[in-house]
Amino acid sequence: MRARALAGFAAAGLGLSAVPFFGPPAFYESFLYLVFHWIVLAVSWNILSGYSGYFSFGHGAFFGAGMYTTATLATKAGVPFLWTLPLAALVAAVFGIALGAVVFRLPRLRGELFALLTLAVTFVLATIVLNTPIDGGPGLYLSAVPLPAIGPSPSSTFYLLGLALALATLWIAREVQRSRLGTGLFAIHDDEDVAEVLGVPTYRYKLAAFGLSCGLAGVAGGIQAMFISYVTVGETFSIAVPLNVVLMSVLGGSRHWFGPAVGAAAVTALLYAFTAGDYAVAGHAAVGLILIVVILFLPEGIFGELIGALKRRRVPAMPPIDAAGLPAPAAWPGKPEGQALLEARGLCKAFRGVQALAGVDLEVRRGEILGLVGPNGSGKSTLINVVSGHFRPDSGRILFEGRDLARLEAHRIARTGIARTYQIPRPFAHLSVLENVALPAMFGRDAQARADAEREARRWLAFTGLAAKAMSLPGELNLHQRKFLELARALASRPGLLLLDEVFSGLTHAEIDDAIRLIREIRARGATIVFVEHVIRAVMELTDRIVVLSYGRVIAEGDPRAVMREPDVVAAYLGKPRA
Amino acid sequence: MPAANQSVRAVLGALLALALAAQSALAAPSGPPVRIGSTLALTGPLAATGLVHKIVGEIYVEELNRKNGLLGRPVEWVLKDDQSRPDLARTLYEQLITVDKVDLIMGPYATANILSAMGVAQRYNKVLIHHTFGTPSLAKYDMQFPAGGLAGDPDNTIPRLVFDALAASAKPPKSVAVVTSKFPSVHFISLGAREAAKKRGLREVAFLEWDFGNRDFGPIAARLKDAKPDFVWVGGLGLEGNLLIDAMRKIDYMPPLHFHLFPAPGPLLKAAGGENALAATTFEEHAPFTDNPVAVEFIRLYHERGAKAGLPDTSVENQSAISYSSWQTLEAAVSGAGSLDDKAIAQWLKKNPVDAIVGRLRWDGPFNYIYGTDLYKVKQNQKGKWVIVWPKEFAAPGARLITP
Amino acid sequence: MGLPSLTLLGQSLLSGLFIGALYGLLGLGLSLSWGMLRQINLAHFALAFLGAYLTYQLAGAGMDPLATLAVVVPFFFALGVLMHWLLARFSVSAFNSLLVSFGFTAIIEALIQWIWTADFRRMESAYGEVKFRVGALYVALPELLTLAMALALSLLVWAWLRHTYTGKAMRAIAEDAPIAAAFGVDVRGLSLLLSGLSAAFAGVAGLCLALSYTLAPGQIYAWLGVVFAAVMLGGLGNPLGPLVAGIVIGVSEALTMALTAPAWAPLVSFSLLIVVLLARPGRI
Repeated sequence: MRARALAGFAAAGLGLSAVPFFGPPAFYESFLYLVFHWIVLAVSWNILSGYSGYFSFGHGAFFGAGMYTTATLATKAGVPFLWTLPLAALVAAVFGIALGAVVFRLPRLRGELFALLTLAVTFVLATIVLNTPIDGGPGLYLSAVPLPAIGPSPSSTFYLLGLALALATLWIAREVQRSRLGTGLFAIHDDEDVAEVLGVPTYRYKLAAFGLSCGLAGVAGGIQAMFISYVTVGETFSIAVPLNVVLMSVLGGSRHWFGPAVGAAAVTALLYAFTAGDYAVAGHAAVGLILIVVILFLPEGIFGELIGALKRRRVPAMPPIDAAGLPAPAAWPGKPEGQALLEARGLCKAFRGVQALAGVDLEVRRGEILGLVGPNGSGKSTLINVVSGHFRPDSGRILFEGRDLARLEAHRIARTGIARTYQIPRPFAHLSVLENVALPAMFGRDAQARADAEREARRWLAFTGLAAKAMSLPGELNLHQRKFLELARALASRPGLLLLDEVFSGLTHAEIDDAIRLIREIRARGATIVFVEHVIRAVMELTDRIVVLSYGRVIAEGDPRAVMREPDVVAAYLGKPRA
Repeated sequence: MPAANQSVRAVLGALLALALAAQSALAAPSGPPVRIGSTLALTGPLAATGLVHKIVGEIYVEELNRKNGLLGRPVEWVLKDDQSRPDLARTLYEQLITVDKVDLIMGPYATANILSAMGVAQRYNKVLIHHTFGTPSLAKYDMQFPAGGLAGDPDNTIPRLVFDALAASAKPPKSVAVVTSKFPSVHFISLGAREAAKKRGLREVAFLEWDFGNRDFGPIAARLKDAKPDFVWVGGLGLEGNLLIDAMRKIDYMPPLHFHLFPAPGPLLKAAGGENALAATTFEEHAPFTDNPVAVEFIRLYHERGAKAGLPDTSVENQSAISYSSWQTLEAAVSGAGSLDDKAIAQWLKKNPVDAIVGRLRWDGPFNYIYGTDLYKVKQNQKGKWVIVWPKEFAAPGARLITP
Repeated sequence: MGLPSLTLLGQSLLSGLFIGALYGLLGLGLSLSWGMLRQINLAHFALAFLGAYLTYQLAGAGMDPLATLAVVVPFFFALGVLMHWLLARFSVSAFNSLLVSFGFTAIIEALIQWIWTADFRRMESAYGEVKFRVGALYVALPELLTLAMALALSLLVWAWLRHTYTGKAMRAIAEDAPIAAAFGVDVRGLSLLLSGLSAAFAGVAGLCLALSYTLAPGQIYAWLGVVFAAVMLGGLGNPLGPLVAGIVIGVSEALTMALTAPAWAPLVSFSLLIVVLLARPGRI
C-alpha cells in the first residue's frame, strides 16, 4: 500500500517537475507556485489543527518566523538562499515546540483558548520584529539575493521549489495520518482525556504534530520571502495567513491529509478567476457566494465529501466474524491468585472544597472480582478515575505490581496494564467501532502494530457480540452496544486489572444476564476486576468481596451478603432508622 | 436653380464630404491596438486610491483614442485587480506579459506592489513607468521611471521643503514633534524630518512611532498635548492622520501647525480640526497649474468621471495628477522614441524630460532618480480648500501660509 | 521628556477604557453567537461596518444619528434571524460557520464598496463636537455613548440570561440543546432570537463606529484580531466577558503608549493576555 502511494507521489512529482521544461508562460508557473505554497500552509496547519482539533490561529507566526529567518540570514549574513530554508524550518519548529511545551501542559488551554493563545503569539512576535533590529520598520529587501537556477527561469525555480515542498508536506501529512501518531491525534480530537487514559502519550504527540506543522510553515515562509522579495511586518503577520489556512482546510475537508490541498487549490484559483479590472468588486462578492454555497452543500468539505461517498460505495459492513473460527482471546499471564495486585494507601482527592476521597485504603487481590459500592457521591467514580490516571490524587499512594502509580502520567498507567470503562460511554465519535477497540491495543501494554491490533480488536468485538458493527460509528449503536463497546475497548489492551464503572446501569434484565456471563468469562481468562455498581443483583452474583465507600472513606469490606447487612452500611444508604 | 450651379454645388458637396472623410480617417487611430497592461488595487485596503488611478487611466486612454492613439494605433488598457497584494501583483504582471502578451506595462499602485512589478519588469526587460513608489532607495532597475515627482532622497527634500516653508512664514515654529507610523515608505521620511529639525536648531519635544495597525490615538494625542509643540510632523498613512486629529480634538487640543505626509486628502479637508493642516502635493486646482490647458481639460473630465464613479471628492490633487503625468510620460516616450520597443523608450526617457501637468519630469540621475530636488510643494487647507502656499512661484494667487 | 503627568496617564487610561468598550461592544454579539449557538460569525464585523455606513448615510440625509438605530436595529435583527435560519437549515457546524460567515463578509464588504466606494468616510455629527471636562481630563460624548451602550447591553444580556426564564432557557440550550428541547424549551425560536439580537448589537456597534471613527471597507479586518482576542479571553457566551477583556486589552495598550514607545503596545497587551491565560485557572 505504501509502496503504491510512494510510486504515485514519485510519478506526480516527476510529471509535474517536467512542466517548466515545456516552456509555459511564466504566469502559470507562478500561479502554480502560489497554489503549492498554500497547499503547504493549509496541509501543515491541518496536521495539528485538523487531526487533533487543536485549532491554531497562529500559523502566521511560524510562517513569519520562517520568512524573517530566511530574509535576515540572506540579507544580513549572506547565507545562500537554499541553506536558509532548513534553518527557517528549524527556527519555526523550535519556536512552536517551545510554545507547545508550555501550553500543552495546561489542560484548560484547549479549544478556543488555544486559538487565542496562538493568535496572541502572532501579535507579540510581529511587534517584536517590528521594533527590534530584525526589521525595525523599513522591511527587508531581497532582490540582491541570488536565486539558484534550479529551473530554466526564476519562476520555474519557484515552481520547482514549491512543488518539492508541497509533495514533501503531503507525504508527511499522509504518513502522520496513517501512523500511530495520526491515530493518537484523531483520538485526541474526539476525547483527549480518554485517549490519554487509553495509553496515547497526548503531550508528546501534540508536540510532534505542532513541531512538524510549524517547521513546514517556516520553510514555506522562507521560500515566499524570496518570491515577493520585499518582506515587511505588515504583509507577513497579517490576519490573511491564519484565516486562509482555516478556510482552505475546512473547504477541502480537514479529516484527511489531502483535503486542505483541494481547498487551497480551489481558493487560490478562485482568487485569480476574478481579477479582471472591470468587475473587481463584483468578483469579490462572487468569491464569497461560491464559498458559502460550497460549504452549505458539502459540509465535510469538497474532498471530505468525495472520500465519504467513496467509502460508502466501496465496501459494505464487514461480514460478521465467525466467533468460532477465531482462536479464543488468549488468557493473559497470571500469577498466583490471592496476592495483593493493587494497594491504595491513604488516597485523598478534593475538588474545590469537596473532599471526594478522604483517605482511602483498600486492596485488590489477584484474580478476584471486587465490588465497589456506596451511595451517590461516596467517591466510587473518583476512585476509579484516580487509579486509572484520569485525575492525580492530592496525596496517598497506589501500589501496583510494586510501582507507585500516583505520580505517573495517565498514558503510562495504561501501559502497566490497567484499563477502565466509563459510566457514560465515551467512545471516539469519529472513529469506527473497530478503530475504537484497536486503539488501546496499539497503545496499551503490548503496543501492537496496527494490523495486529485490528485483529485483536476483532476478537474482542466477537467476544462482546459487536462483530457485525465493526465498521459502524459509535453514534449508530444503542446504549447496550455502546456499553459493550466500552468493555471491548477496555479488554483490547489485555489489562491485568479491569476497572468497570457502572457497566450495568441502563441495561434490561436479559442484557444484565449477558453482561454477567461476559464478566465471568473475562475473569476466567485471568483478569482481576473491580467494578463500581448500583445494581445489587449483579454485585451479589458476581463479586467475591465488596468494599463500601461513604463520603470518601471505606466503611466496610468483606463478603457481599454480610457487608450489606452491616448497620453502618445500611445507614450510609438509607440513613439511620428513627427510634 | 440653373443646372450648372446645381452640379457645381454637388461636386463641391462631394469634395467637402470626401475631405471630411479623409480628415476623420487620418485622425482616428487605426490598426491593431497597442495593449498596455497594468494592475491596480481595486479591492482591498488600498482600493480608495486605486480607484483614482483607474479613473485617470480611463480618461487618458479615451483621450488618446479620440486623437491619434499611440503611433497612430488605438490603445487598449488591460487592467487587473491585484487586491492590494504584492504577491498577486507579481503574478498578474507575469500573466500580462507572458500570457496576455501586452505591448507595454504601466505601474500599479503603491510601493510594495510597484516593487513586485519592478521585479517582473526586470526579468522581461520591460520599461516600467510608475507613480507612487515611496522608497526610491529600493529601485535598482535601470528601466524603471518614476513619474511622481518625488526625488531619490525624499527624506531630505520633503523635510527641507516643509521647514523652508515654515521658516518663511509669519511665525516660524521653535519646537517640533515628530509622530509617525512605522510603515516603510513613511517612516524614513519622518526620520529625515527629525534630522532636518535638529539641523535647523528646532527643539524636538516629542518623537513617537506607532505600529501600522494602531486604532487608539488617544495616548499619542495626550502626549502631544503635554509636549506643547509649535509644529507637529505627522507621518501617517491613509486615515491615520484623521484618527490622530480626531483624538486630539477629543481632548480639546490642536497643535498650532501640523503637516501630514501622505494623508487621505479629501477627508482631511472636511475633517473638523483639519483647518490649516499642511500637506505635500505636486498639483492643485489653481494657477499656475491651471494656466496649462491640458490640465484644465483633465480637471474637467476628472470632475465628470469622479462624480459618476461616486467619489466623495472629485478635485484633482496629488494622486490624480501624478497618475495623469505617468500616462503623459508614456505617451511622450512612445512618440519620442517612435516605437514600442522598451529599450528605445527607456533610452529616450533618460535623455529627454517630459513636461507633465505636475511639472518637468527628468530621469538623468542614478537609477533614473533626481537627488536633492523634487516637484513637491506645500499646501494648506484654507477654508475647506487645498491651496499651495510654498514655494512662492507655485502658491495660489495671494495665498500665504496661515500661522496661528 | 521627564515623568508623564497625571493628566497624561488619566487621559490615556480613559482612551484605553473607551476603545476597550468598543472592543466589548463589537465582541458582544460575536461571543453570544459563538458561545451559545456554536456559530463563529466572522460577518459580525462586516455587519458592524454596514451599520456604520448606514448610520453615516441616514445622518447625512438629516436624521439624528441616535435615531438611526430605529431603522438599523430592526433591519439587522432581521438579518441575524435570516443568517441563523440559513445556518440551522443546513446544520452548519462551528468551523463550517466560519467559512460561511467569511463568505458573507466578502459579500457585505463588496456591497459597501460598491455603494460607498472605498474612500474614507467620516460622519460629522453634533454629538461629535460635545466634550465634557472632568478636572483636567476630557471625555468626548461619542466615546461616553459607546461605553454607556456597551455597559448597558452587556448588563442587560447578563441579567436576561441569569434572571429570566427565556434567558435560562438560552443557557440550557447552550449547554445541551437536545435535553433542553426535551424539557420543552423552544430551541429554534430562542436561537433565532439570539442570532437576531447579536446582529442587532452589531448594528449598535456600527453606530458607535460611525460616531467616533473614519470608515473604510478595508477597516473591517483591522478589528478582527483584537476583538476575537477579547471574545476568547472573556469566555465564550459570557456577556460581560468581551467588555471586561476588551477594557483590559485597551487599557494595557493605552498605558504602554503613554509611557513608552507606542509601537510596543500590542506586545504588552498580548503578552499580558498570554500570561493571564497561562497563570489563571479557567477564564476571566
